[in-house]
Amino acid sequence: MFERKRIPLLSALVLALSAGCAVLGDGTHRERYADAQIDPFRGVEGDVGFSDTIQYWRDEAALARHAALADKPAEQWKLNWKHMDLDRMELHPGHLAVDEGQAMVKKLAARDSAFLACLGEGSPELKGKAAAYPKFDEALDRIVTVEARIEHCAKRVLKEEIRQGTPPNNKISVYFKSLSAGTPIRVDLSDANVMEAYRRGEELFYRKTGQLNFACASCHVPGSIMGHKLRGETPTTPFGDAAHYPTYRTPVGALESIQERFARCHGQMRTQALKPGDPAYADLEVFMTVLSNGYPVSVPSAR
Amino acid sequence: MKRFVLLAAVLPGLTFAGTAAAQGAAAPPAPPDYSAFPCLSYSLPCGKVATRQPVQKALEGPLNGNAAKGKQIAQARDRGNCLACHVMPGGSQPGSRGPDLSHFGSTGRSEAEAYAMVWDMRTVNPETLMPPFGTNAILSEQELRDVVAFLLSSK
Repeated sequence: MFERKRIPLLSALVLALSAGCAVLGDGTHRERYADAQIDPFRGVEGDVGFSDTIQYWRDEAALARHAALADKPAEQWKLNWKHMDLDRMELHPGHLAVDEGQAMVKKLAARDSAFLACLGEGSPELKGKAAAYPKFDEALDRIVTVEARIEHCAKRVLKEEIRQGTPPNNKISVYFKSLSAGTPIRVDLSDANVMEAYRRGEELFYRKTGQLNFACASCHVPGSIMGHKLRGETPTTPFGDAAHYPTYRTPVGALESIQERFARCHGQMRTQALKPGDPAYADLEVFMTVLSNGYPVSVPSAR
Repeated sequence: MKRFVLLAAVLPGLTFAGTAAAQGAAAPPAPPDYSAFPCLSYSLPCGKVATRQPVQKALEGPLNGNAAKGKQIAQARDRGNCLACHVMPGGSQPGSRGPDLSHFGSTGRSEAEAYAMVWDMRTVNPETLMPPFGTNAILSEQELRDVVAFLLSSK
């Protein structure tokens, strides 16, 4: 379906870019935020020349050098909330969720060991595997995120609903991803299907939506609100962010997957929110995770 | 016997509380419906909704705005929330992306100009980040007039 629309859609976008608007494949007029020209092949390093904040949070050494920014309200955004990762060794509910997720997987695998083999795509070993998500699954013929894999395997093997965006799914996801903690993210852009999902997600990132007529880009690219005060908040760079999800959200008091975060953002943007697992959110997650390529999986985390 | 009476007195209360909790759980506040505006879905009708085109809105009749009400509307996060991006008189935690509007009333803008800008800033600056408050019905006609009165009173 998207393949068919892709060519006219992209050419229409190129023509309409300077006008700040776009015409969808079906002729619908849509405003669009100006393209920030992100190069997906640079991965997380694409932030150089973008927000240029990666110098402060690229790794633990950089974070330690710039730890003082955390106490400066006007500059804290430059740490991209990575300073909250420095408490990695302390106990927060994200850690407890890892233990709960582990216990859940153990229990589910005891019912049928095929559950684990399904999660691990043929092998029960999960270590390092989450770093390659989202990926295109040939058999399912769609983009699959870690949360989608869990939902699929529970349904196929155990005939049980562990839907994306629910606490049990998030707990298993946090456990699954914690087994890749420290492994650099490597979403496979050499897979044409993944690249197409990236391009679709990129298009969604710039598309203005909702009653407030905002795009994701309205707050998260240079020249937008990024780095400026938005009442009590300061929007930061989208680079290196997806690596932390699902994360324990301190303002919400719960684990939140990245797609639940999209839905929450959309509510704040007065835009119809979509359900976790929606194909549009999966594409947006591909886009966001490619912007974390090369950055280590950082789960469990708190935000 | 005494204990029984106590239980009898407490039980109806518990039952009532339980019912209230169950009702609360069954009817969470419905999220506002934004489906009349564009969304990112590939399949829902809102995915096919067009962006409303910029509207050059003329002020009809006298402004009749209430500056004090306008100030409240400008500050309320669920109404104008102008403070999200602008510094304005009063209010806490102003934003920094938009121009400082503390002295908007001294910039020589007419009522009609200010009204048209709040109604749809895209008519003045196509690249603006400012929501079209009139075109997208974020504020009612009277609320918008109140906000304009507040803006012009900020000297």
